[in-house]
Amino acid sequence: MKQSTFIKKILASLFAVLICSAVFGLVRARTIESVTFLMAAPFADATRDLVKQFNQEHRGEINLQVVRGPLETEAMSDLAISSLLLGKAPFDGLLMDVTWLPKYAAAGWMEPLEDFFNEKDVDALAIGAREGNSYDGHLYRWPLTADMGLLYYRTDLMEQPPATPEELVLVSQSLQKDRKVDWGYVWQGRQYEGLSCVYLEMIDGFGGDWLQPNNNHIGLDLDPGVQAAAWLQELIDQGVSPNAVTNYAEPEALQSFKVGDAAFMRNWPYAWTELQKSDSAVKGNVGITTMVARPGHSTATLGSWGLTVLKGSAHVNASIEAIRFLTNESSQKQLFLKHGYTPTQQSVFDDPQLLQDKPILAEFGQALKVVKARPETPLYAQISDVLTRQLSSILTRETTPKDGMNVATSHTNQILISAGEKL
Amino acid sequence: MTVFLLLPSLLFLLVVFVGPLFRYAWLSFHADSVMTGLIAIPNGGANWLRLVQDQRYWQDLGQTLRFAGVSVGLELFLALIIALLLDQRWRGRDLVRTLALIPWALPTTVMALGWRWIFNTPYGPIDYFTNLVGIGSLNILGDPNLTWMATVWADVWKTTPFAALILLAGLQTIPVDLYEAVRLEGGNPLICLRRITLPLLRPYILLALLFRLAQAFGVFDLIQVLTGGGPASSTESVALYAYWNALRFLDFGYSSTIIMASFLLISVICLIAWIGLQILIPTHSESRGVIKS
Repeated sequence: MKQSTFIKKILASLFAVLICSAVFGLVRARTIESVTFLMAAPFADATRDLVKQFNQEHRGEINLQVVRGPLETEAMSDLAISSLLLGKAPFDGLLMDVTWLPKYAAAGWMEPLEDFFNEKDVDALAIGAREGNSYDGHLYRWPLTADMGLLYYRTDLMEQPPATPEELVLVSQSLQKDRKVDWGYVWQGRQYEGLSCVYLEMIDGFGGDWLQPNNNHIGLDLDPGVQAAAWLQELIDQGVSPNAVTNYAEPEALQSFKVGDAAFMRNWPYAWTELQKSDSAVKGNVGITTMVARPGHSTATLGSWGLTVLKGSAHVNASIEAIRFLTNESSQKQLFLKHGYTPTQQSVFDDPQLLQDKPILAEFGQALKVVKARPETPLYAQISDVLTRQLSSILTRETTPKDGMNVATSHTNQILISAGEKL
Repeated sequence: MTVFLLLPSLLFLLVVFVGPLFRYAWLSFHADSVMTGLIAIPNGGANWLRLVQDQRYWQDLGQTLRFAGVSVGLELFLALIIALLLDQRWRGRDLVRTLALIPWALPTTVMALGWRWIFNTPYGPIDYFTNLVGIGSLNILGDPNLTWMATVWADVWKTTPFAALILLAGLQTIPVDLYEAVRLEGGNPLICLRRITLPLLRPYILLALLFRLAQAFGVFDLIQVLTGGGPASSTESVALYAYWNALRFLDFGYSSTIIMASFLLISVICLIAWIGLQILIPTHSESRGVIKS
C-alpha cells in the first residue's frame, strides 16, 4: 500500500517535471527569433565563424542563419530581386553592393535604419565607409566591408609607383623595352560594370565628373571625360596593355599580374590576399597605391558591401543585433586577418598592433580616404550600361573617344529625361 | 470523356504558357518600372513606339538572327553527318554514342566559363596554338569581328549532340529493306541518301530545326557568361537585352514588350523554316515515284 503511493508520488512528480519542461520549452521556442540573411557565397563562407559566435552568445534568444547565395555580384542581385519581386522576401537581411541601394530604396524594399544607428555610430566609421549607405535622407545599409579600386605595382621593378597617367605609361614602356615584363598595365576592359569602375577613377583623375547627382550634370563629353577614354584606348594602342584587355574582368587581370607578366594592375583589395598565396610568382614583390591621376585628383571607386534589413521582416530588432555583431570592431579585425576584408570602423585602421602585423592596412586606409561612389540614382544600372557600351566600342576602335562619349552623354540624357529626372 | 482526360495537361499549359503570355502582352502596354514604384500604369503604345525607334533592339535582333541562323545551320549539317556515322555498325559505336552526348549534358554556364578560359588571350590553349602555327594572337573574345564566331562555335559544340540524337532516332525508324531495294535496283549510296534517308528523315530534321531555332533565338546563358554581350555590344542577344531591362533596370513594361516582339518574330521564323523545308526536301511519296521511274 505504502509502496504504491510512493510510486504514485514519483509518477506525479515526473509528470509535473514533464509538463514544466514542455511549457518551458514552448516558451523558449517562442522567444527564439530566427533571423535569415542572404549573402554572396564568399561572404557567407567568410562570416561562418562569426555567425557561430553570434549564435553561441545569443543562445535561446536569436538564431542567425546565413543563406549562401551565388558567387558573382550580378547573379546575387538577380536572386535577391527575383525573391523581392514575389512580395514578401524569404530573408530578413541582405548583404548588398553599394550600387544597388538607390534602386532598392526607390522600389521600397528596405527598412530605414536611422532609428537604430545614431550619429555616434556613423562617426565611428572610416570616412570612405560612410558613403553609399543612404538615399533620399534615409539610412538603409550598414557597411560590413569597404572595397575600393587600387593600383597594384611591382616593388621589385620600381622604387616608387607612378603618380600620373603619363608616368605610368613611361615606366611601363621602359620596363617592356628592357623585357622585364610583357605588359605594363592590366585592368578591366570587358564590357561590364568593372569597366565603369575603371573609367570613374580616370575621369575623376583627369579632373572631371561622370554625373553630378544634385543637378544631373553629365561630364562624359567634356574634356576630362574624353581624355580618360582616350587614355585607356591609347594604353592598348601603345601596347602598354594587351589587346585582350578588352575582355578582361578581375580574374583575367589578376592572372596576368600574378604570374609576373604585368608591372601594374587595377584591382580590388581581395587581390592582395590572392597575391600573397604560395602559387603567386610575385609574392613579396607587390605594392599598393591609389590610382594615377592629375596631382590632387587621385580617386578610388567605392565598391563596399553592407547589410540591410528588408521591408516586411518580422525580426527587425534581432536583425539589427546581428548586423551590429557582424560589423563590430572585433568581427572586422577577424575578417581582415583571416580573409583580407577591408575594415569599415576607423578604430581598426588606428590599431597600432594590427598596423605593425599587417602594414598593408595603412595603404587600404589611405585609398579609403579618396573613394568616390558611382552616381547615386535608381537609374544607375541603365546609365552605367550606356557608358560601358560606348567605352567598349572606343577600346575596340569601333568609334573614337570623342564620338563615343558624345553618344554616351546623349543616351544618358535620354534616360534621365524619360524618367522625369531631368528637364 | 477524352476532354476530361486532356483537362490536366490543358490546365498545365494554361498556367505555365498561356498565362504568362497574356501577362506579358498586358504589361507591354503599361509603364511598370522602378520609377513608377513598380506599379503598372497604362501608357498606350509608348513601349511599342520606343521599341520601333530603339536602335539597340534592332542591332540585337540582327545579331541574334545571325547567331541563330549560322549556329543552327552548322549544327544540323554536322548532326546529320554524326547521326549517319553513329547509325552504321562498327566497333566501339556504343561508346562513341555515349561520349558524343557529353557536351550536351554539361550545364551551359559551366561550359561557357570553360570556353572563356580556352579562348583567353594570352593564357588559353587556342592562343598557344595560333602562336605555334604562326598566326599570332587573335584576341578572340576582345575583337567585335571575331567574338560572335566564338559564341557560335561554343553553341555548336554544345548542342550538335542534341540535334544528332534526334536525327539518329529518325534514322532508326527507316526500314532496312528500303535501302536493299535501292541496291537491288542498282542505286548507289548517294541515291540512298537523297531519295530515302533525307525524305524519310524530314519530320525529324524539322523537329531538330524548330527546337534548335527557338532555343538559339532565345540564347542567354552562353552569352551572359562568355562575353556579357560585349565587346562593343557585338554579341548582345535579344534575350540578354530583355533580361537587362527586367532584372537590372527594373523596367518590366519595356522588357515585356521586347519579349512579346520576340515571341511574334520567332513564330513567324518557325513558320518560314517549316515551309522552306517542305520545298527543299521532297516528301516521301514524291521520291518513291522517282525511284519507280
